[in-house]
Amino acid sequence: MFMIVLIVLAVPTVGFLVWLGGVFVREYVRVSRGGDRHDAAVAGLVPAERQDTALAAPLPAAERAALDAVREGRWEPAAAVLTEIGRDWERRSAFTYLLGELAADDDTWLTAWEQTRRDCPDAAVVRARSTVVLAWNVRGAKRARYTSREQFEGFHRVLEQAGADIERAAQLNPDDPTPHIAAIWVALGLGAPRAEMDRIWAEVTARAPHHYEAHFSALQYWCKKWRGSRRLAMAFAEQAAAAAPAGSLLTAFPLIAFFEHDGEDAEGTDEPEDVESEAMQRRVDAALRDVAAADASHPRLAEVRHLLAYYCLLQGRVDESAENFRLVDGYVGALPWRYRGDDQAEHFCDMRDIALKGAADVAFHLDGAPPQA
Amino acid sequence: MAPTLRAVRALVLLAGFHLLGLLLLGALAAIDWAAVTWTAGFVYTKVIIVSVLLAVPVVRGMVMLRTPRDDGETPGPRVTEADEPRLWQTVRELAEQVGTRAPDEIVLVAGVNAAVTEDARLGGLLPGPRRMYLGLSLMAGLDETQLRAVVAHELGHFVHADTRLGALVGRGQAQVLRTIGHFEERAENTAAKERARQERRAAKRVARGKEAKAVDTSGSGITYRTMARIYTGYAKLYVRATRSDSRRQEFAADLAAARIAGRDATAAALRATCALDAAHDHYMRCYATIGVDAGLLPRPGEVFGGLRRLLAARADELSGLHGRLPDAAEGPYDTHPPMAERVARIEALPYDGRGGESAGPSLGLLADADGRFAEIEKYALTPQALGLRRVDWPELVHESIRAEREAASGPLRAAVAAERGGPGTASAMLDAIDAGALWRIGDQLPQSGAARAATGRAAREFARPGLHSGLRQLVVLELADRGAARWELSWSEAARLDLSPGLAGRLGPALDAAVADRPDTGPLRALLAAGEADADGKGRSEAV
Repeated sequence: MFMIVLIVLAVPTVGFLVWLGGVFVREYVRVSRGGDRHDAAVAGLVPAERQDTALAAPLPAAERAALDAVREGRWEPAAAVLTEIGRDWERRSAFTYLLGELAADDDTWLTAWEQTRRDCPDAAVVRARSTVVLAWNVRGAKRARYTSREQFEGFHRVLEQAGADIERAAQLNPDDPTPHIAAIWVALGLGAPRAEMDRIWAEVTARAPHHYEAHFSALQYWCKKWRGSRRLAMAFAEQAAAAAPAGSLLTAFPLIAFFEHDGEDAEGTDEPEDVESEAMQRRVDAALRDVAAADASHPRLAEVRHLLAYYCLLQGRVDESAENFRLVDGYVGALPWRYRGDDQAEHFCDMRDIALKGAADVAFHLDGAPPQA
Repeated sequence: MAPTLRAVRALVLLAGFHLLGLLLLGALAAIDWAAVTWTAGFVYTKVIIVSVLLAVPVVRGMVMLRTPRDDGETPGPRVTEADEPRLWQTVRELAEQVGTRAPDEIVLVAGVNAAVTEDARLGGLLPGPRRMYLGLSLMAGLDETQLRAVVAHELGHFVHADTRLGALVGRGQAQVLRTIGHFEERAENTAAKERARQERRAAKRVARGKEAKAVDTSGSGITYRTMARIYTGYAKLYVRATRSDSRRQEFAADLAAARIAGRDATAAALRATCALDAAHDHYMRCYATIGVDAGLLPRPGEVFGGLRRLLAARADELSGLHGRLPDAAEGPYDTHPPMAERVARIEALPYDGRGGESAGPSLGLLADADGRFAEIEKYALTPQALGLRRVDWPELVHESIRAEREAASGPLRAAVAAERGGPGTASAMLDAIDAGALWRIGDQLPQSGAARAATGRAAREFARPGLHSGLRQLVVLELADRGAARWELSWSEAARLDLSPGLAGRLGPALDAAVADRPDTGPLRALLAAGEADADGKGRSEAV
């Protein structure tokens, strides 16, 4: 009797609890399916504090190992990598720049290299690049009015020295465009007249007509903040992009020229161009095609993807933006983030998250289901 | 406004200046009287106390209004007619031509100036004794006709400009300006006395082992300064109101000078005076007093007289300066119109046929100019300055610059001494460099913020210029001590370091090598050794 009463009471209680549990579970499942849609979209991505702010993309293993060895004072692996790179001028200029950066801080290993292998053109070109970087370290990255007389004097003194180092490197390897690329930065820093820039540019293009870093450097010279103007920079970039074969990545330069003068007053009668203008749409299209055609091992490919991720997002092309963000995530040492100083990684992550959430929203609305990450 | 009205207004303002104190006192007395009449005892006692306190500075101010009479001390020697007959004769002639009374005294002073003052009595109402001041440095830069123009201009100030009252206004204005100067001087003196008193007290406290209080003189001299402010405010009003008169007087004096000394000589004198001012400043700073820190002065007669050497050596440069006149904007209290305007007005006068007269130097009016330059030092130099060692010009320049360079290299020598001990010579620094201490020495030198923030090779680039120039100084000092380097006096340009010809070309590259990333002190050591051999062997035939 007592058991019967107990059972009669327990059945509705258990039933109620089961119903309650079901509601919770359903609610829980629904919330997690809907609310986590965005989190899922950005899941597995690198947080701002773990982004590499020095590089635009991971380095090939041999180069990474060689740089690590240099940090420990051993130059031989770096010399071996340069031998292996040989006449791949894109990779040579990119890797000698990284070595030059290290040598600008401490050149003990480079001195050892120079003393062991007298007149080694590879050591000479690293020396030339390091002296240019050193000059910029002395100057600091601020605009002229925030740069002291002492800094300018040191900057100019070291640039003069760099001129001699560049000449030596060019003599030791007459085919190499890299010393002439370094010479562009000396011309820029010393305020060389445009005729001098034209002379250097002829030397560069005779050796490498569609070289990415060469164009990047020359574009800086033609920018308003250095020795040119918005109009000159844009003309230079458009001309380079038009003349270049697919996969050379020179289509990035109209975007960079736009970026360098974005937010400035337009000169003369030129209206400031809108980022969503037809011309900008065409530039982004061209760069997307160029990236698709480029060799996957091109050392500058990631840099262009960073730019595309940014401009596609600004133009509302979230899918293309998200795709490029995913491909470069983890490295933020590229334009446009590089000009943001201390919060370059935050800036990248904010834009990346907007792109990926946007892409997820678009996909959800189209398919009714979250996209596959 | 008619000239007479203008003069009357100026007179009223001048009278007001002297009545100001009386008016203030009268106002206080009226308040007291009102208080006594209409208020209770404890109220009017307070009012009277306050008014007495307020009256004290007013009374002091009125007492100070008396321009101090000369106590016999003049800024230079008084010269009698027997001492300088030609000068006196010239001045008398000019006074006669200008149509005014000749000065009663002529005082020679240092510096580029000329002035005639009159100790007018009754606050500027009655004439008094006149004294002419003539700067020897001015005379050094002008020829005789130009000096005549300057003296005629100064005397021209005493001519009745447009009305009989005009002269009076001029005298009154001079009096007001002098009074203001006197006020300021008294206020400064009081503050200086207070400072000295507080410093003595602070020294005593320190001597007794207590902490010294900071010296504060902001409160002292306050009564003087309050009065000075009241009177200065009034004087500014006065100067503003009479400014057009003083400008007119200045132009009138220029006209008088041009009439007597000639248009061209007067314009040339004004132009020359501007250039001469600049030259004199430069001379005093870079030549006459160059050795003061080293305890040296030029020979007697040369402290001011040396200006003549500079003027002779830089004649071309100075005549170039004559073409450019300062065109500073006029302030509301300037009593003088701008020099450019005065010169333009004179040069606009018709040609008077007295253009190309060549005249001897105006110092030729003195019987013994060299002696006067020596004599003036006793007046113009402080007792400490008169106690300095006197040397010839070449030695003065060399020793002064040597001492200055030695002092400037103090931080570097201290850093070298910290590495190697001893006095921190060039040789010691080279030893320190060979021991690998170059950048450690660089760290000891004064650095900018950017230099401190720099690391690695960039830090070295910040340190290198200081090490380079510092080591250069040490090397040059060492060469100078061995007789292989000497700073050479030049009257026409800056002093120049004279190195033995064999060394000069080698010094730069040797310094570059010594402060390079991989330092090599060999070339500098060889250079120092060569300097020694050079000095030992044939002496220094090529210098001086």
